[in-house]
Amino acid sequence: MTLFSEFSSVQAGLNTGLESAPEAIQQMHREARALLPSVAMPTRRTESWKYSFRRTAGLETLGLASSNQSSTSITDATTRYAEDIQALVLPFTNGLLCPQAITKANERDGIKIQRFNEVNESLAAEILAHAQKNDRGEFETLNRSLSNHAILITITKNVKVETPLLLQYIQQGEGLSLPRVFVQQESGSELQVIEDFISDDANNSAWVSHTDFVIGANARLTYYRMNLNGKQQALAGTTRCILKRDAALESHSLCLGADLGRHDFHVLLTEPGANCDLNGVCVTRNKEHFDNHTNIEHIAPNCTSNENYRCIADDASQIVFNGRIHIHRDAQKTLGSMSNKNLILSSQAEIDAKPELEIYADDVKCAHGTTIGQLNEKEVYYLKTRGLSDDQARQMLTLGFVLEIVRSAPITELADAWESCLADILSFRD
Amino acid sequence: MLEIKELKATVEDKQILKGLNLSVKAGEVHAIMGPNGSGKSTLSQVLAGNGAYEVNGGSVDYQGKDLLELSIEERAREGIFLAFQYPVEIPGVSNLQFLRTAMNNIRQHRGENEISAAEFMKLAKEKIKQVNLDASFLKRGVNEGFSGGEKKRNEIMQMLMLEPSLAILDETDSGLDIDALRIVADGVNALRSPDKAVIMVTHYQRLLDYIVPDFVHVLAGGKIIKSGGKELALELEEKGYGWLGIDADDAK
Repeated sequence: MTLFSEFSSVQAGLNTGLESAPEAIQQMHREARALLPSVAMPTRRTESWKYSFRRTAGLETLGLASSNQSSTSITDATTRYAEDIQALVLPFTNGLLCPQAITKANERDGIKIQRFNEVNESLAAEILAHAQKNDRGEFETLNRSLSNHAILITITKNVKVETPLLLQYIQQGEGLSLPRVFVQQESGSELQVIEDFISDDANNSAWVSHTDFVIGANARLTYYRMNLNGKQQALAGTTRCILKRDAALESHSLCLGADLGRHDFHVLLTEPGANCDLNGVCVTRNKEHFDNHTNIEHIAPNCTSNENYRCIADDASQIVFNGRIHIHRDAQKTLGSMSNKNLILSSQAEIDAKPELEIYADDVKCAHGTTIGQLNEKEVYYLKTRGLSDDQARQMLTLGFVLEIVRSAPITELADAWESCLADILSFRD
Repeated sequence: MLEIKELKATVEDKQILKGLNLSVKAGEVHAIMGPNGSGKSTLSQVLAGNGAYEVNGGSVDYQGKDLLELSIEERAREGIFLAFQYPVEIPGVSNLQFLRTAMNNIRQHRGENEISAAEFMKLAKEKIKQVNLDASFLKRGVNEGFSGGEKKRNEIMQMLMLEPSLAILDETDSGLDIDALRIVADGVNALRSPDKAVIMVTHYQRLLDYIVPDFVHVLAGGKIIKSGGKELALELEEKGYGWLGIDADDAK
C-alpha cells in the first residue's frame, strides 16, 4: 500500500520556513502532515477513484518543483486571450505567486491579497477552521501539508471587480506544484476568476491544486477553469465553493486530457436562495485521461443548482464523470438539474459516467440525465446533402456538441480561445 | 436534366417505389401530389441519396450522369438540393459556419474560388432578408429553437445561397401560414430560370397558386399514375383522389 507520506515532496517540504507564520497556519500544516502517514493512495477499492486509480501510479516519486524559477507570466497562443480581456494576471510559477503581482493587485480598489503566512491571528483562525472542517483527505491533505505559499484573496463588500482575475499556474521543469488559494468574497461583491494551468514541455510535472471560495451573501462569482496547452502533466485539483444566502456561482471549465486529469468540484449551498450553474467540457484523445467529480451539497432550502457537462473521448483515452447531488433533510424546495452528455469517437475509448442523487428532503424537484452515444446520423446526412464531406460533417458535429456549452461562457474572448483550441484538437483526423 | 426510369426503392424491406417514371427538363417546375404513404418523400430521399432507402431497380440519369452512383455530397455539389420536410436541429453548429463550408465545397467542385468572408456575409444577409428572417438567425445553431415555419424558411434561404440546378422541395409548404407560404413561394420563384428545375412534393393545391407548375403528377402506390398541367391540381382539390380509382389502402 502506497501512502501519501511517501511523496518525495513531503520530505522536501518539511523545511518550510513557516516559523514566522501565525500559530493557526502552522497548526494547519502540522495537522495535515500528521494525517499523511495514514492516508493511502487511491486503489481499486477507493470508490471515488474506481475508474482512475491506475493513473496515480508513480506520482509519489515526484519531488517538489523548484521554487527558484523566473516568475514571469507566459504569453503564447493559448494565453493570448488574457490581453484581450485585460485580465489582472496573478502568475504562480511552480506554485509560488510572484510578489510584484501581489503589490500590483493590491493597488486595485476592493482587492486585498496576502500570504497565509502574513495574515492576522483571527483570519488565520478562520482559515484553519475552514481547512479542518472541509478537508476530504487524499490530495487535499497533501496540498494542505505542503502549500507553504498559500494566498488569501479578499474582495471587499459590495465591490464589483470589473477586471477578471487570472490565476495563471505555470509549471516550469519537473516536479510537483501545490498552489493553494483562498478567495473570500464579502457580501454583495462580484468577481470573475480564471484558473489557467500552463506547463512547459516537462514530462514529469504535476499539479495538486486547491482553491477555496467563500461567496458571501448576495455575492456573485463567475469561475473559469482550464488547461489549454495540455502537455503530459498530471493535474489533480480541488475547487470548493461555499455559498451563503442568495449567493450565485456560475462556472465554466474546459478540461483537456493529461496522464492523470482530475477535478474535484464541491459546491456547498449553505444558506437559502443560493444558486449555482456549473458548465463543463472535457475532451481527451490518444491515451489521455480526465476525471470530473462534481458534488453539489444542497444544505439549505430554496436553493437551485444546474449542471451541464459534455465530454468527448477519442482514440484510447478515458473520461470519467461522476456528478453527485446531495439534498440534505432540511433542503426543502430544492430545484436541481443535471445533464451529462458524452460522445465516444473510437471503439477503444472509454467513458465512465455516473450521476448520483441522494435525496433526504421530500419536497424537491430534481432531474438528471446521462447519455453516452455516437454522432446522430440524421445530422450527418443533413449536412452532407448540403455538400459537406463525411469528415467535414462529423468534425462540425463533434465540435458543435461541445460548442453549445463553450459559447455560453460570458467572457466572449475566452469562449473564442476555447473554441479555436477545440477546433484544432477535433480536426486532427485530416 | 433528370430522367427517372422504372425506379424501385425499399425502406426497411418494404417496397415503396414500384417502377416510377419521371422526366424533368431544365426550366421546368413539377409538382408531385398524392395520398399519404404513396412514396412522395421516399422519392425525395432517394434522389438526395439517403442511405436508409435501398434502390432495387431502375435508373436515374441526372445531367448525363448516373445519379445513383454518386455519394450524397457529390449530388449536392452537382447541384441537387433537398429542402427537408422535417429539417433537423443541430445546436452548436452555426448556420453561417456550415453554409460557408457548404458553399465553398460546391464552388470548389465547380472550379471556382472560395468566397471571401466579407462577400459571404453580404450574400447571407441579403438572402436571409429575402426569406424574412432576422440576421441574428445566421449566428444561431442550425434550426436550433426555430419554429416550424422558420425552419422551412431557413431551408429556402440555404437553397437561395447554394443556387442548385435541381431543387427538390419535400412538403415545404406543410404547416405554413399564408404569409410564410408566400415567402417560400417567392424564394422558389426567384430561383426559376431556364437552366434550373424544381420538383415540389406537396399535399395541397394551395402552394400551386403561388408557384405555378408546368406539370402536375399524381403519385400513388409507388408509381406516377397520372400527369397533367396545372389544371390537374384543381381537379384533385375538387374531387380528391377517389376519382382516379385510388383508395387509401391502394396508395400504399
